[in-house]
Amino acid sequence: MKRVFHHPPEPATGKRYWRSLGELNDTPEFRQWLEREFAEGTAELNGSEWSRRDFVKLMGASMALAGVGLTSCRRPELHLVPFTKNVEWTIPGKFLYYATAMPRRNGAIPLLATTVDGRPIKLEGNPLHPASGGATDTFVQASILDLYDPSRSQRFVHNGKTIQRAEFDAYLKNLRDTVGGQQGEGLAFLVDETYSPTRERLRGELEKMFPSMRWCVYEPLLSEEKTLATQTAFGPGARLIPKFDRADIILALDSDFLDCGQGDLESVRGFTSRRRVKSPADNMNRLYVVENHFTLTGALADHRLRCPASQIPAFTYALAQKILGGTNDPGLTGILGASQNSGSAAAFDERWLSEAANDLLAKPGASLVLVGPGQPVAVQMLVYAINAALKNLGQTLIARQFPHNPRTIDMSQLASDVNNGRIKQLFILGGDPVYNAKRGLAQDRQTNLPIDWVDLQKKVPEVVRLGYHEDATSALSQWHIPLAHYLESWGDALTGGGDYLSIQPMILPLFGGLSEIELLNALLGGPKVEGPELIQETFRSTNPPGDFQTAWTRFLHDGFATHVQPRDQATTFSGNAGGVRDQNSWTLLSPPTADSPEIVLTSSYSMDDGRYANNGWLQELPDPITRLTWDNAALISPAYAKKLGVLTGDLLQITINENPAAGQPIKRELVIATLVSPGHADNSITVPLGYARKMPEFYGLPYAGGDLKRQPGITQQSGFNGYFLRTAANPYFAVKGGQGIDSVRVTKVGRTYPFSLMQEQFTIEGRGLVREATLEGYRANKDFAKKIPGEEELVEQPASIYTHPPLKAPQQWGMTIDLNVCTGCSACVIACQAENNVPVVGKLQVSHGRIMHWLRIDRYYASRKPIDQDGGNWPENPEMVHQPMPCQHCENAPCETVCPVNATVHSEDGLNVMAYNRCVGTRYCSNNCPFKVRRFNFFDYTQRPVGKRKVVGALNIYEEYFAPLTTKGAPDTMKMQKNPNVTVRMRGVMEKCTLCVQRIEEAKIAALARAGASANTLIPRDSFTTACAQACPNDAIVFGDIKDPESRVSKMKAQDRNYRLLDYLNIQTRNSYLARIRNPNPKMPDAKDIGIASAVEKIPE
Amino acid sequence: MANFFPRSSNWIPIKLLICGIVAAGGLTAATWYYGTPKYTKVGYEPIQPVPFPHDIHVTQLGMDCRYCHSFVEMAAQSNVPNTQTCMNCHTQVQKDNPKLEPVRTSWKTGNPVEWVWIYRTVDYVYYNHAAHVNRGISCFSCHGQVNHMSTVYLAKPHSMAWCLDCHRHPENFLRPEDQVFNLDWKPDDVKPAEFVAMYGQPHDAGEDLSKKKKLTQEEIGQTLKEHWNINPPTNCQGCHR
Repeated sequence: MKRVFHHPPEPATGKRYWRSLGELNDTPEFRQWLEREFAEGTAELNGSEWSRRDFVKLMGASMALAGVGLTSCRRPELHLVPFTKNVEWTIPGKFLYYATAMPRRNGAIPLLATTVDGRPIKLEGNPLHPASGGATDTFVQASILDLYDPSRSQRFVHNGKTIQRAEFDAYLKNLRDTVGGQQGEGLAFLVDETYSPTRERLRGELEKMFPSMRWCVYEPLLSEEKTLATQTAFGPGARLIPKFDRADIILALDSDFLDCGQGDLESVRGFTSRRRVKSPADNMNRLYVVENHFTLTGALADHRLRCPASQIPAFTYALAQKILGGTNDPGLTGILGASQNSGSAAAFDERWLSEAANDLLAKPGASLVLVGPGQPVAVQMLVYAINAALKNLGQTLIARQFPHNPRTIDMSQLASDVNNGRIKQLFILGGDPVYNAKRGLAQDRQTNLPIDWVDLQKKVPEVVRLGYHEDATSALSQWHIPLAHYLESWGDALTGGGDYLSIQPMILPLFGGLSEIELLNALLGGPKVEGPELIQETFRSTNPPGDFQTAWTRFLHDGFATHVQPRDQATTFSGNAGGVRDQNSWTLLSPPTADSPEIVLTSSYSMDDGRYANNGWLQELPDPITRLTWDNAALISPAYAKKLGVLTGDLLQITINENPAAGQPIKRELVIATLVSPGHADNSITVPLGYARKMPEFYGLPYAGGDLKRQPGITQQSGFNGYFLRTAANPYFAVKGGQGIDSVRVTKVGRTYPFSLMQEQFTIEGRGLVREATLEGYRANKDFAKKIPGEEELVEQPASIYTHPPLKAPQQWGMTIDLNVCTGCSACVIACQAENNVPVVGKLQVSHGRIMHWLRIDRYYASRKPIDQDGGNWPENPEMVHQPMPCQHCENAPCETVCPVNATVHSEDGLNVMAYNRCVGTRYCSNNCPFKVRRFNFFDYTQRPVGKRKVVGALNIYEEYFAPLTTKGAPDTMKMQKNPNVTVRMRGVMEKCTLCVQRIEEAKIAALARAGASANTLIPRDSFTTACAQACPNDAIVFGDIKDPESRVSKMKAQDRNYRLLDYLNIQTRNSYLARIRNPNPKMPDAKDIGIASAVEKIPE
Repeated sequence: MANFFPRSSNWIPIKLLICGIVAAGGLTAATWYYGTPKYTKVGYEPIQPVPFPHDIHVTQLGMDCRYCHSFVEMAAQSNVPNTQTCMNCHTQVQKDNPKLEPVRTSWKTGNPVEWVWIYRTVDYVYYNHAAHVNRGISCFSCHGQVNHMSTVYLAKPHSMAWCLDCHRHPENFLRPEDQVFNLDWKPDDVKPAEFVAMYGQPHDAGEDLSKKKKLTQEEIGQTLKEHWNINPPTNCQGCHR
């Protein structure tokens, strides 16, 4: 029987933070997740899995067989294999760090790659690069796994047959001769955005050789609307850089600028730099967010307004009128006067709008209005005009000149050329257009039906695909060439701010792939390159100062070149951009209704545009907002769900009826499972993109163990493909009245889909877990975080009956997490997984509560309504707080006292450590852990495949469990990623956050080796940190020596906002949190509902 | 009715019990002795591809350990020399010796020599050479008198208890930093006056050590332990991560 700890009585004001609607309603499922460490059945093999009885029978047989041979009595003879010749810089077993960069569509991210014995194992941000400050995000952290993806493309293919590279080279030579004769007519390239100067240079050479060739850049999630608006308003090649560190008031309209996955880490850092409140005297910025679904930006907002995405134009228009009223800006007059305000706009909360506008008007030149990439060009222009009227241009919004080639065409132009039969040879470099191109790119002239890229590509006689996987696009291409990973190839790139970065390979191509520039060079007929020659040539053309070789070495060593400076340009907004409005009609749409809702298509926090579909770490990463793993879902509001009569998991059929002006009426349909998401706008459905991409099948489950037999064919990943609904005419939201859309219908299918939803798993009991206050509340009571109502009487700690561990080491480790700058982006979770060899377990295992993440991010909603007074109406617009939850390293650790074999003990420097080889797997420790941070290896996740795919109807579901019967052994490439300094745990072992003990020990040993024959063995202050703290783009996590009063962590812990979890249990946690501060505008109508997750006093009604 | 069992059979249960106790005790004692690394591992002397004589190289020719094990002061692993290191000399010395054929083949083909691994710690143990040799622990303490071995064998048990013997009492093994790679060093070699002048003496030493004729290992070790602030970890995380 489980003893339930009697927490001190909660004060009458009640608990205001909750994790799910299940908690709000106190459902039995929720009680089970709360009261048990592992849910019912976590420790059982149930349902379609093996029964425990079968398992014991099977194991009995194995044991008997094992006994016969006495196989393990002889010492196996192992060998030490040194190099034949010394390898430069290499010391066996020591890490080597190289600067490189990850190319991304919004600009590259400068990195430091950790390599050991010649293989890269971990990526960190490059701290030398001043703008990025050593920040990374989830995709950077996870990209190392893509390098070792065993289902990567490994061969050259022509018409389905494996060929040698020489055949492809011969084809290129032949092509050069034939196409060269026709000035390159019929030759086209379809590429990703990489901002590589060398690629641009080679493109220029190709254009000299083939003057009529076409070059199309396509990125499904790069907004053509935004680009068009920026170039029209600020000239070709312009790019706008928001300067958040200068902005006091920020209004984000459908803009998730805090989504680190977009790669703009500089902006995220700039924003959070204004939220580091150290004392009551400090100021912070204020963020208003208007959005239809909860985003990371919305989670950090001070004021959040739910608004359907299709109503953002109407909101912007209304805002512009308010700003115009306050500024009488002539530019704004011009653009507003010229626009047609037809249609009936939604009724917005008038006070919300006008007070937000007043707040912006009060800070001219220090405010910022941002609009999301999905809004039409006219709205983008209007927002520029608003910023111009607020005098923000040149202050908080600056324009920067980027290399620009006017001959680049967009995807619809390419599609029309293909449709007209003008393209004879098409090179598709990267991407997966068959999967993610917008639907209906062109129209068939006979039938007047829209044609998708999948049919268009078939019209091209010769398609050459350079791809990372043999995916759906490769299947329709005549040639498939394996693409090299960026960690395998030479390259260069520009950051989002325009800095010039070098990319150097960490390892030779594992499977003989080519990089883009190598392919272009081969097509140009250049000499075959194996080194950095192509990059060097580009670098030479930038005229580096001094000796070339020195400059080049410095460029590689630092990872960036300082002599190439980005060029800022005059930020003057030309308001008379009349031509733009014609392209995008400025008609305000009527609000979506329950009968005809809007469908919003957005990027996914895990899959991006689908390029990480085969990345097990990202698939298993719980979405920071919904906590959903392995799937996407149609997000809807609780009220709308009630109206439709659906619950989380129910399947919905979405139908978009199109009736374009010139063409046939058609239906676009998608069946997708629902997820009820509090805080979502009503009558609006959000579908994250990037799921259900067809990938080559290699294992039953990506990355989780190894059935080493390669299975042929292409299979579909989990989730639902939102690209089916994404058309060229309406790429971001589909709503009645949108271009060619008659109506949008949603019907209940009547079946359910199994989700692996993490939101109720690992729920913690107890109070004061998340603490927050408003800035005013903090100034009035700076100790609000220390005292939680009801806890005062427990200030005197009860004596512990156990002996306190002797914490006598000279340095004592601890951590603190600043909830005020934590955006919940989850980079720390993936960084932890990469550093600590944490396995992927698979969808079914996650649903059983067997996920292995050492660091999880708890997401809490906070709403005004006390949790136990639910009258059937779910809160409409809750706030959100993210709380990263690693092991708290209690000094009086409850786990240690119950371990029967002393496998978990306390170290002298304050860590709660695990000795894996002592653990016998009783799981008492995790039963006794109040934070539920201990993880148990129910199976040999790193050694055996966990699931076998089972298809139920049209849905892909991981179902069957075959682990004990499968072949043991992981593919070699997967072993190459493992961190050699961390034990790979096997079945039956408990594990948890170690505070990166391997890094602590490395630092200690380095200090000892340095000390030599002297007594100074202390590790220098703040000289190393944990993987999560290093990955955090906002420095929310700070680790260090808490005994040293000058260390960063001690200074953080000395702040007023510092608090420890469940302090009334006298567990004395080493980790602590800094409470969140929100900065509401007291004049706003919702001001009294802000910052209430831990109400200090009774909230005014 | 005749007795089927003679009277002496009354003693059988007692005898059986005694035999059982003796057998069980013997088995326990045997396992205690023969089942530990001290018996099972020590003396392991596999045949190497090249019978490298440490005694010739170190004792006769006077080579330093670090000529071949070059990264021992920097890295966790003490590296085995690569073929290039061997060929530095053996392109000129003993260049036709048939025993060196594997090395020459390796040099020609580029395939490494596969040495048989003797001192293998299990994967969950993270031993670090740099932390030891830089802090006054000699090669000798773990590897024995390698400088007198014609072929290397495993000299010490390398069990966890054996590790802890030193981690709990490092004073029994510490030596001056310049003697770490001198495998023939004895505590008697230390000149007390010089030693005390350089390192001082333990705070609880009852006498002036510099006046002594000879110093014991404990006296030397204790001095160095205090002088260098030696504090070896005895908790799990020191070796298991």
